[in-house]
Amino acid sequence: MSLLGVQDVVTAYGKIEALKGVSLDVAQGSITCLLGPNGAGKTTLMMSIAGILKPKRGRIVFEGQNIAGTPPHAIVAKGVALVPENRLVFPAMTALENLQAGAYQRADRKTVGEDIERLFTRFPRLKERAGQQAGTLSGGEQQMLAVARALMSRPKLLLMDEPSLGLAPLVVEEIFRIVTELHKDGVSIFLVEQNAHMALKVAQHFYLMEQGKVTFSGNPGSLAEDEVIRRAYLGSAQA
Amino acid sequence: MDDYAIGVLTNIGLFSFLALSAYLLLVAGEMSFGQQAFFGVGAYAGGILTALYGWPLPLAALAAMALGALAQFLVGLPTLRLRGLYFAMATLAAAEMFRILFELFHWRVERNGELAGPDGTQGFRGIRWIFEHGIEPVHYLILVYALLAVILLLLVWVERSRLGAVLRGVGLDPELAASVGIDVQKAKLGVAAAAGALAALGGVLYAHHNTYIEPRNFDIMLGVHSLAYALIGGLGTAFGPLLGVLLDIGVLEGTRFFHGYRMIVFGGLVAVLLVFRPRGLLDERMVLWIRRRFS
Amino acid sequence: MLADLIQNSLDGVTAGAAYALFALGFTLIFGVLRRANLAYGPAIMFGCYAATWTHLNFGAGLLLLAVITIAGGVLAGAYVERLCFAPHRGGSAIAAMVASFALWMQFEELATIVMPRHLYAFPALYDGPPLELGPFTLRIDGLVMLATAIAACALLWWILYRSRFGLAVRAVIEQPAAASLAGINVPWVLVRVFALASALGGVAGYLVVASHGQITPMLGMWSTLKGLLAMMLGGLGSLPGAVLGGLALGLIEAHSQWFFGPQWRDLIAYLLLFVLLAARVPWMTTRSAS
Repeated sequence: MSLLGVQDVVTAYGKIEALKGVSLDVAQGSITCLLGPNGAGKTTLMMSIAGILKPKRGRIVFEGQNIAGTPPHAIVAKGVALVPENRLVFPAMTALENLQAGAYQRADRKTVGEDIERLFTRFPRLKERAGQQAGTLSGGEQQMLAVARALMSRPKLLLMDEPSLGLAPLVVEEIFRIVTELHKDGVSIFLVEQNAHMALKVAQHFYLMEQGKVTFSGNPGSLAEDEVIRRAYLGSAQA
Repeated sequence: MDDYAIGVLTNIGLFSFLALSAYLLLVAGEMSFGQQAFFGVGAYAGGILTALYGWPLPLAALAAMALGALAQFLVGLPTLRLRGLYFAMATLAAAEMFRILFELFHWRVERNGELAGPDGTQGFRGIRWIFEHGIEPVHYLILVYALLAVILLLLVWVERSRLGAVLRGVGLDPELAASVGIDVQKAKLGVAAAAGALAALGGVLYAHHNTYIEPRNFDIMLGVHSLAYALIGGLGTAFGPLLGVLLDIGVLEGTRFFHGYRMIVFGGLVAVLLVFRPRGLLDERMVLWIRRRFS
Repeated sequence: MLADLIQNSLDGVTAGAAYALFALGFTLIFGVLRRANLAYGPAIMFGCYAATWTHLNFGAGLLLLAVITIAGGVLAGAYVERLCFAPHRGGSAIAAMVASFALWMQFEELATIVMPRHLYAFPALYDGPPLELGPFTLRIDGLVMLATAIAACALLWWILYRSRFGLAVRAVIEQPAAASLAGINVPWVLVRVFALASALGGVAGYLVVASHGQITPMLGMWSTLKGLLAMMLGGLGSLPGAVLGGLALGLIEAHSQWFFGPQWRDLIAYLLLFVLLAARVPWMTTRSAS
């Protein structure tokens, strides 16, 4: 069943169309992955879904409702949370405060506290650094913090934009391990990645995006992995 | 044409120089809160040269422009590396310093048996060169607009040239400009000098039109107005600032319709217009459209 | 000589307390918007004039006048926020700032139309003699100003670091894109920050006018300039800096005036700012200003 349906979305920066009619589906309970070269529009798509950008045309249907053009905080309320590219933690706030910010919309302090405890158990490094300023955390720790912050809103769909960016291979493995764990807990995940190899290991379905359009849709294995990787980094010859 | 109309039209011309001076810097990407200082420099310099030392107006005007250019260049040298609000605040501080210096400035010289010249807060009276030379108000009006026309032609010519494109590029995206080898600092300093010269020209003409100037004339409000004229008229063409001045002094003041409410109406107009046209009425898009329509 | 130094410092600190309050308001707005609100002082002036008008026509006690000043300031501030800053969010900073200039023009003309005299009396905060501390005098209203500034700082700290709203404000200041992704309704935060800054300004404006016992239309420009100067001196975007900048400005002015006279007092303050900016002193120029 489709949790998120992107239907022919066109998003522009002024006159320049970064998304030229993107259509894809994220199935309920799946890990879906979006690959493609730089400049393909992957981040633009994520930001359009999260409400930071407003599509010029098209629909973004979440749980049956069109959320295209809805402001970001309302989209969080509906159950979609984005872990943005470059993490964007709140640098002067402590790690704990970052998590509290992620729970901003939730009124019940008790369950928020419980969630924080649970996340600290899942991310023990964050617990150690709970009182430390987020800006002083390492790249990997900031990534975990950004993921944890997004989880604080108890999303049904977690969007992740390049979680492995700039991280060491061991840390990247840890991140993807967390992705699979979250998936087992029932969170649907839509993931943009440059690291096609790792992404294909965890995804049930993937899309390739080039120059503002989806150019391939399939399951890992439906295309030879080196072909996927080639197109993810360089784009296909015809594009 | 009656005297009032001549006066209004002359003022439109005079303040157009000031608005153009703010406009040049805006196009180069900098917001200056201080062009009124160089307007004042021109006024005082020109007035001193003609009233105290008998210089002919054209020569005095040239000297005033040079001084204005130098002053703005010197202010710009340490500050143009600053961006946005920092630069704006530096120009504000500089302009206020100039104004206070005008208040402290006494240059009394004996002329025809009397003391004449700038007298601090008491101002500078007796800048009567155009009256002493029998120039009628309507002639002065023509002179002001003739000069304005020359300046406009020059600016439009520059705008259509490669230099104009470079300067506009520097204003819209300085990093990009620098990456293609443009010396952004030098470009901005050049624009600053030109802006200073323009403001000073307006000032010298203003001083001779009014025959009396005082430091209070060159306060922040004047600078605020010149920025508003430049932006609301439009950053797409040198005619933009003129439109801004025309809107305020021409329509609102000249028609006497909004007597007493002029700033309320103009202020509201500016704020509302900017919501829909953040780069002014004659912004780059409008200018492009006009060019296409008429070519 | 030392006695003069101390007395001037006392006077400077009490004047600086007002500047600090203005600077705090400017800084709050700058922090969340990355833009300077040049109609901030004029909006405060609107509140003060509303109180003056009320007093002239109906007579009113000190407390009511304070409330009117603050309410008027908040109302005027909301007008500025809606017209100058909300439409340009994510757009042109220059358009927003020039629009705020335009509203400054409006407020100033409005004041001179409704209250045409250049000067109006305003009920003094305290009519009695100043406090004598040995060889030093301290005006009671100056003490009130100082105490209020301290209380305002404490309140602001509590709001920012102990309240949910404050968490949202800090999020918007530190990382605006991520703030909305965390579910924070950023436009609504901006409206409330504006109201808070306007209220702070209203308190400061009221105290200034009540201390002087009079009000003129120059209040708008004056409070804007002092607030901007103090904010820049303390380091743009820093709340503690705003307070320090305000106090520093007050002290610099008091001593400059003593040694050189009133015109030099202003000149020195501007010169200091100019030199510090030109030298690109790090504490002053680290925050991005759109």
